[in-house]
Formats: sequence, C-alpha cells, structure tokens
Amino acid sequence: MRLVGFCCGVSVYWIMAGKQTKVSRRMLFTWLMLGGLILLIAPAKWTSSFQFAFLRVFRWPLSIGENISLSVENRGIGGDSETVSRKKYRELLNHYANMEARLRQEQAKVEQLTGVRESFALGNTKLVEALVYPVSIGKGNSEILIDKGADSSLAKGQFVLAENSIVGTISEVSTAGARVRLITSTASNMAVDIGGTKRFMRGTGDNLAKIPMMKNKIEAGTAVMAARKAGVLNTPITVGRVLRCDRNMDSAVLWDIIVEPACDIQQLNDVVVVVMNPQGQK
Amino acid sequence: MRWFRFAILIVFVTVVQASVLPNLEVSPDLLLILLVFFCIYCEPNEAIITSFAIGFAADLIGSPMPLMPMGPQTISFGLFGTLLAYIHRVINVRKMPYQALTIFITALLAGVLAQFLAMLKGHVIVSNIWGMLLGVAIYSGLVGPFLFLPSAWWMRVRMHRFARR
Repeated sequence: MRLVGFCCGVSVYWIMAGKQTKVSRRMLFTWLMLGGLILLIAPAKWTSSFQFAFLRVFRWPLSIGENISLSVENRGIGGDSETVSRKKYRELLNHYANMEARLRQEQAKVEQLTGVRESFALGNTKLVEALVYPVSIGKGNSEILIDKGADSSLAKGQFVLAENSIVGTISEVSTAGARVRLITSTASNMAVDIGGTKRFMRGTGDNLAKIPMMKNKIEAGTAVMAARKAGVLNTPITVGRVLRCDRNMDSAVLWDIIVEPACDIQQLNDVVVVVMNPQGQK
Repeated sequence: MRWFRFAILIVFVTVVQASVLPNLEVSPDLLLILLVFFCIYCEPNEAIITSFAIGFAADLIGSPMPLMPMGPQTISFGLFGTLLAYIHRVINVRKMPYQALTIFITALLAGVLAQFLAMLKGHVIVSNIWGMLLGVAIYSGLVGPFLFLPSAWWMRVRMHRFARR
C-alpha cells in the first residue's frame, strides 16, 4: 500500500509539473494502462481496500446524498401501511420484552425439572454487528459491503443475519471491511431445509432465490430455513418464504420453488455476522 | 488544464453518482459523461490522464453497476477515452446530437468491455446486465450534452472555440 501511495504521489507531482516534463502520448498511455492491468490482476483482497477507503473517507457526504435520494423517493407517501404509531410500537416492544422474559422463566423451569441445560440457539457464538455501506446496495442484489473485516474475526463463509433472518454469507474479507454475497445472488448456493427436505437454494439475481426440482409442491408462505453447517451455523435460521411454485422447464412432474428473502434487502442498514467458536479463532 | 478544479469535480460527481443516483431504476453515468467531455474539450495528453483518472473513480464506486472489482473500468475508460481523444483530432464533435451519440456509443463499448474484464476476474454478471447497460447508455446520451455547459463553466473551458487538432 505504501508503494501504491508513493506511486500516486509521484504521478500527481509529475502531472502538476507537466509543463516542464515532456512525455510522449504513447508512453503515457502505456504506463497508465499498465497501472490499470496491475489493478485488474492484483488480488481483490488488496484492491478492494481502495473501495473501503473511499467509503470510509466519504461516509458523511455519501450519507447526505443517500438521505436526499430517500427523502425524494418517500415524498408524498403519507399513510404507509407498514408504519405504526409510536404508541403501538411501544406496545409491541413491551409485549416482546414480556414474552422474552416469560420464555426465560419457562426455560429455567425446564432446566430445574429435567436437570439438563438446554443450549441456546447460537449459544457458542459471537455476534458481530456491522454497518452496511448504503452505496453497495443497488441493482442486481448480488453483494453488499460491510464495515467490519478480519480485525473483528470475520472469515469467508460465515453467515450474515438481518432482521433475525439470513441474508447472505461472507464472500471476501479484508482488514477494513468485508463483502457479503446475498442469497439472491446468482453465485449463491446455500443448503436449506424446506418442509423437512434438505435442498440447495440458488439466487436468481432479481431479489429472489430458487430451489429447483422439488418433487412436491410447497404451499406459499412456508418458511425456508438455512441448514445447520458444522463450525458455521449450529441452529436452523429463517432464510425466506415460499413465494410460488413454478413447473420445472425440463421435467413437468418437478417443481421449482421460488423463495423471497425474509427481510427487505434494499432497506438494510446494519447486519449481524455469526462468528462460531470465537475463542478458537485468531 | 486546471487539475485542482478537475479533482474537486471528479470527487463531487463520484459522490453524487454513488449516493443519489443508485436509487433510480436506470440512472445516467455521470462519470462517463465527464469522460466524453474531457476527451472533446482537452488536449490529447490531458484527455488520456483524465480518462484513466475517471475510470479509477468509477472503479471505486462500481459505477454504474455496483461492486465491480477494481480495474475493469480504469482499463475500459482509459482505452475508449484515449481512442475518443484521437478520433476527435479528425472528427469534430461540437453539436449536441453528435455529442449525445458519442456518449451513447462510448457508454455501450466501455460498459461491455468492463463487464467482460470483470467476468474474467470472476465477477458474477447480473442476469439483466445488457438491458441495464443499454438503459444507462441511452439515459447518459440524453442527459450528457446538457451537463457539458456547467462542466465547461467549472473547468473554465471555452466550448465554442474551433479546436480541431
């Protein structure tokens, strides 16, 4: 990185002093093209540091631009059916807290009666909270960038949660940040559990995912869970819900199950990365 | 060439492109419009440097397709910017319809090459990418010539001089 910085410095100085130095066009083009090729063939782990650095340095103006864009988009939407009043929100929040307390009480009772300690879901895990760079959420729904990286024990393959559901897995980590491959990406291929059957789910690239070649038609709304994976996920967690079932193009007796994500990926602000056995990692 | 003004303009446009425009269904590629502007109104040497610099800025934000790896846009913008600067020595592109057509063609060619290079690097291509590229090219072509005037004002460039080189 220091070498890159030095080269940039020299280039800027050379550009500024351009009036004194004469460099042929061909040579200029060759050097710059060489720089581009180095960027292209260098490992993404190194080059993505530039993108993370830009997002960090310009976080404030980028968030202003994002807010302007969202406020223009939301203007005129007064009676949104998805919003509730502050009173109703507090009611629901309190109800949730009460239910959680009651659950803990019941678990303590079971533990006392059976003498067996029931392990909590995601018990031996560290949950790393990370902010999503809004710039990275866009067309294609394939990947997002988050502001936590290898420094926070993140590693390739770890599951990423949002709104208590899985939105993707870590596909690339650098020290400053990480890339998350979303479940809707065409490159995503995740083992899932649907109605007691283990299958693979692929992203379609248009904010949906598909479980191909199922023997039985699945009812719309059925929950699709991520299958347990040793060392990465110790409990099934919701990925999405069945949207519809389409006939398979190759075989009319089989079904392609179309799955919609359990949370709105376009509105992601922050996510949680599941780091299993954190003490076992560096 | 006023390099300090150029740097400010590029940073401003990069931030706007990354933050304000992604929420639109199809958005113009402001950086590409600037690329064509500098290739038309600058000396060839300056056009080559600005093309690569704008390509690097586009790589930083993955414009107009998000999260492209670093490199493809620097190469494609640099290559087509340089070509355009050389072509402009022979063909003068000063009328708005020609400018729109130039932006449209450059957007298409640079977009296709960038996607191809990204694919070589293992980047996943979005299913409707070619439709999106066409949309971006048309939108940029329509909007671009109108953005030349404020860009020329900021860069202190005289637009109506006869500058065939």
